[in-house]
Amino acid sequence: MLYFPLRLRKEPVRLQFCMCFGAASKGTPVAIPGTSLAPQGPSAHNTDGIFEDLKAIQREYGYLPTDKLQAIADARGMHVREVFTVASFYPHFHLTAPARVDVRVCSDMSCHLRGAGLLKQELQTRLSNQGPDNCSIREISCLGRCDGAPALLISTKNEEQIYDSINGERAADIVVRKLAGEPLPHTRPERIRTEIHSDPYIGTQKYGVLREFVKSRDFTGVVAQLKASGLRGMGGAGFPTGTKWEAVRNCAGDEKYVVCNADESEPGTIKDRFIMQHLPHLLVEGMILAGLVTGAKSGVLYIRHEYEHPAEACQDEIDSCYRENLLGSNILGSGLHFDLKIFISPGGYICGEETALIEAIEGKRSEPRNKPPFPVFQGLWHKPTALNNVETFALATVILARGVDWFKSYGRNGTAGVKFVGISGDVRNPGVFEVPMGISYDELINGLAGGPLPGKTIKAFAPSGPSSGYLPASMLNLPLDWDVMAKPPVNSMVGSGAIVVCSEDACMLDMALNAVKFYRNESCGKCVPCRVGSQKMVDMLTAWTQGKQNSSDLQVLDELSHTMMLTSICGLGQIVPAPIQSVLHHFRDEVDAHVKQGRCPAGVCSVGGRA
Amino acid sequence: MTPVKEITLTIDGRQVTVPAGTTIFDAARMNGIPIPTLCHQQNETPVGVCRVCVVDVGSRVYTAACIREAENNMVVKTNTDPVQASRKTLVELLMSDHPAPCARQQHSGDCELETMAKNFAISTPRFAKRLTPSHQKDESSLSIMVDHSACILCDRCIRGCSEIRNNFVIARQGKGYAAAISFDTDDPMGSSSCVSCGECMVSCPTGALTNKHVVGQELGLAGGTSVEAQELLALPVFKGVSGTFLELNKGAVVKRHFKKGEIICREGDYGSTAFYVLEGKVDIFINSPRAHVDTEGSEQGFLSKLASKLKPRKEHQREEENTQRKYIHIDAPVDLEYDHPVAQLQAGDLFGEMTCMSFYPRSATVRAAEDTVCLEMLRNVLDVLQKNKTFRAKLEQNYRTRALETHLKSVPIFASLTQDFIDRLRDRVELQRFTPGQVICRQGDPADSFYLVRIGFIKVSEHHPGGELVLSYLARGNYFGEIGLLSAEGLRTATCTALDHVEVVKILGEDFREMLERFPDVRASLQAVAQERTDENRARIHNLQNVPVDDFLRQGLMDAQSLLVLDLDRCTRCDQCVKACADAHDGITRLIRDGLRFDNFLVATSCRQCRDPLCMVGCPVGSIRRRNSLEVIIEDWCVGCGLCANNCPYGNINLHEFPAPQGSVGVKATVRKATSCNLCYDHPEPSCVYACPHDAAHRVNPPEFFGEMLSGKKVEPVPFSMAPGMMDRR
Repeated sequence: MLYFPLRLRKEPVRLQFCMCFGAASKGTPVAIPGTSLAPQGPSAHNTDGIFEDLKAIQREYGYLPTDKLQAIADARGMHVREVFTVASFYPHFHLTAPARVDVRVCSDMSCHLRGAGLLKQELQTRLSNQGPDNCSIREISCLGRCDGAPALLISTKNEEQIYDSINGERAADIVVRKLAGEPLPHTRPERIRTEIHSDPYIGTQKYGVLREFVKSRDFTGVVAQLKASGLRGMGGAGFPTGTKWEAVRNCAGDEKYVVCNADESEPGTIKDRFIMQHLPHLLVEGMILAGLVTGAKSGVLYIRHEYEHPAEACQDEIDSCYRENLLGSNILGSGLHFDLKIFISPGGYICGEETALIEAIEGKRSEPRNKPPFPVFQGLWHKPTALNNVETFALATVILARGVDWFKSYGRNGTAGVKFVGISGDVRNPGVFEVPMGISYDELINGLAGGPLPGKTIKAFAPSGPSSGYLPASMLNLPLDWDVMAKPPVNSMVGSGAIVVCSEDACMLDMALNAVKFYRNESCGKCVPCRVGSQKMVDMLTAWTQGKQNSSDLQVLDELSHTMMLTSICGLGQIVPAPIQSVLHHFRDEVDAHVKQGRCPAGVCSVGGRA
Repeated sequence: MTPVKEITLTIDGRQVTVPAGTTIFDAARMNGIPIPTLCHQQNETPVGVCRVCVVDVGSRVYTAACIREAENNMVVKTNTDPVQASRKTLVELLMSDHPAPCARQQHSGDCELETMAKNFAISTPRFAKRLTPSHQKDESSLSIMVDHSACILCDRCIRGCSEIRNNFVIARQGKGYAAAISFDTDDPMGSSSCVSCGECMVSCPTGALTNKHVVGQELGLAGGTSVEAQELLALPVFKGVSGTFLELNKGAVVKRHFKKGEIICREGDYGSTAFYVLEGKVDIFINSPRAHVDTEGSEQGFLSKLASKLKPRKEHQREEENTQRKYIHIDAPVDLEYDHPVAQLQAGDLFGEMTCMSFYPRSATVRAAEDTVCLEMLRNVLDVLQKNKTFRAKLEQNYRTRALETHLKSVPIFASLTQDFIDRLRDRVELQRFTPGQVICRQGDPADSFYLVRIGFIKVSEHHPGGELVLSYLARGNYFGEIGLLSAEGLRTATCTALDHVEVVKILGEDFREMLERFPDVRASLQAVAQERTDENRARIHNLQNVPVDDFLRQGLMDAQSLLVLDLDRCTRCDQCVKACADAHDGITRLIRDGLRFDNFLVATSCRQCRDPLCMVGCPVGSIRRRNSLEVIIEDWCVGCGLCANNCPYGNINLHEFPAPQGSVGVKATVRKATSCNLCYDHPEPSCVYACPHDAAHRVNPPEFFGEMLSGKKVEPVPFSMAPGMMDRR
């Protein structure tokens, strides 16, 4: 009759790392009838490894059919709503069949500055004849390729690739070829474009600190050195690392965890990608040391799924550590144990929030927990957990290898330490750089990153993505200093060192709206201020860009900002107001030009008839 | 026993001491300091998502009092201006998307959000309203009304459903501003695994989940006594039903006492309730004469005076058919024998389910055989009962022990099954319920079981590039799923969708196969039927593919198998056709010379013998059906309810009063029966066609007749007897 059974060739699971749907994660999938998945042993938690099940289904069907969700639920002894609630949370899982080729253009900060909007329009024109079943073109949140803006992601049923520094012609060509049956072209890992001074192992045997430590077992010495170095969390929050490790060490019980947050997803943040790609041994050694110091037997390296090549590099490093008995049981004959595995994030900026990240590892909706209790006491599986950023673990290794004095003396202008920063946006030479703390933003932007694009001037810069707000070019001489940046009159932050530069072509109101849209898109929706407030802020700022402002708007925005900052559960909701507040503070004239004179000085917004 | 550790803290300047582990919210409440909240309830685990209960504990940000444990020496401020300002903004944010006044506010004036907004003096929220709600109203549940636009995602229903009731149906879905509550896999509540316990609507602070107000909810209490929730809950069948639900739906169920001989309900009457027999016995029977409208005439001259009258089957045997019906299917756990349509129901039996759930007319008359007590209920109560595990189990048990056998035997094809096999099936069949629109099996899916229809109507359709083609409608007494099981591919060849509240008896594939092995005659008949169905479908699709559709389909003509067309170039409007029809049918015409026009043809209003015969859907006794030839016929046991006449989209079915035949059980002098054009099956050709003096009237097969016309070839209408597709009539 007219029924054509869809029997699709089952491809063997790729052994190499496939970014979004890779086999690198070693969760505990349960055998699902009708799929190629085999059970990998029991788990105490029925949600453990659920993303591997969902990915397997999506690889096979292109989306998640309802009956397959039921099958997962049955196999895991769960209710189907528990599987559905998780699957529906992550946009990377399709609940209905997507187009054969799905093109998603990054729409955040750096890509926005470098023409993502025009790229999307061009693709829509070029691919308009393909039909919606074959090709869809949408926006996506920051892909972590800010130094190669604009970037886009092309995905099909079982392939996914990110292309950066791309134009409409090439992207359209890839799509057309894919529809004609060719595979997606592969991309190469990034190259180093900075001098590395911090790596203590250039020309010597790696894992020197670890080899020394298993002999000395000087647990307190490690904590003392970290405390003395003043090392703080490099993810942005800045909690002292030594204190954190010590607290976990002092917790009672055998079951403890070390978790590395490599989910950097904030627009402009690309430094962890660089460290994992080029200095994975510093990260892995830092995690092993953290495990041995805190007494954790197990570690999880949580990597965002868009980081295909860095995750491969880390997996290679971990494999080699197991071969050399630097990981696993009885490390180097010491009787100490530590296992480390990679967990590929199911996706979303919110997963970078520490408790939301833990929820994701546990196979749940990535919603932040109410704190306290903090992860140090109740983290992964509600056990004590030392959770740090990639750079923090790497720098811990550097400090322990080179000594506290080296680390402290490396900084300039009275600040201590070394920092990895990503510089992107309207600069000639965007990329990741290893720099001493205390260096000025002027040196970073006009020096290392090559200054503004030809013929342009710098109008503003964000020291750490949207979260830091925007500062005017007149503040470029500020130093990369935690305290100076956080205190009045700057009221910004060094944060994760995600420096995004705006030229005179950028409209700062538009940039604020772009940042708030990012937060709105990435809000998990758990609490009211963030879920509803971020949308209402987008509504208000959108009206402003169209020249429409109610007389009460500034008052309402102020009240909303305070409420979001004070009542949101996590840092995402608390930081949403930062971009627009900074723009109102430093670029009030530009905002007023929109709402009082009906014109966008940069000619970006639709007000005043400009497109 | 270890002494309870105590915590001392300061709340709003007052030093208070509470046991360790107490939340700030509880510590404040215990000391008479109320903290407002939307998402927190004393009987549920705190989640801290609405943030209305935030308090200042001197940290960088506020903390949610409902979830934060009190600590020694903590200084808590619950009521500062900035804290109150934050709460007000939160409420204003929620109010900006809230459909005020919501259903709860309208019905009981106790929407917690709207009350709080009033307390904060928020009249018009200053934020933009949500433009495109991701979810709208969901009215699929019979007892609970869902309005997603009023949902504030407080998670109270989720916790009520899981923690309190352990039903695990509701959860959050999606993320961010698009997040919403969902049932199972975002199913409509009515077709989810929801058991209508009502806990969610009790938990809900707003109008997102409210008690559904059913039309005619208050049953007239005449002759009945109102039943208290407590009394109902004491009955075994109500075990596990939510007391709150029963309280809210007081009046939707009443207790009625019937004296011996008293009529409980009458066939053909419209109704909206079901009855559950608590005590006593009732007789259930069909009162209408089992006879059909027949027209007698002589072969020689149709102009001679004809007369229509009711004739019982014994006197007038209709054209023989494949299968002779021995049972009449009614809306009760039993089927009635054609020759003696009386049965008895007892305590624990339920009848009137179809009338109650889908508002069909009563299929039979029920009379108290002795003094009887019944519960009469509306469909929200019946729905809750049917989802109740205890009640369900009892119904299933009744079905297995008493009804399965007659149900199977009432389907002629299974008449030869032996007792031991029926006994084997007894424990293995499963009753499954489906809500309107729910798919029972989908084309292309693996075939794993065979189904008998117990209640309701099912649409059988196939998907085609141009859309969906309805193959047939199934009702009680029908079965489906055999084609897929018999085929080599083992896949469903069509999609079966519930049209109303459907209940089917599921027979597993292995039992089905064993039946085929053990009973070769069953296999033979099933195979023959399957082949017939397959051939018929194939022929239909063939016809479809050969005809340019568009316009044709739009007029519904493609659905017709036989049309009366009048060639307007020839027709002089003399109305001889109408007269002839009236003459042929006892002075009552079944033909009206008006209708759709297509080119120079008028498609007259008379039965089109649709492919997709909507008239058959809903017949409470299954007396309107299609014969193996073409025409739709109305069987002897028509109870004259008129539903088919209402259902026919073309107005081609009429109801007429006939004198009751002598010796019938009925008490009335006349009985109503439905009539429609029967193509004058006992004449060489339809009277109207024969009578036309201008050769303008023709009975044609539309795909072929219009098909050729549409493809540009102007054709002369072929004489009826030669019309393609009409040949098998001879």
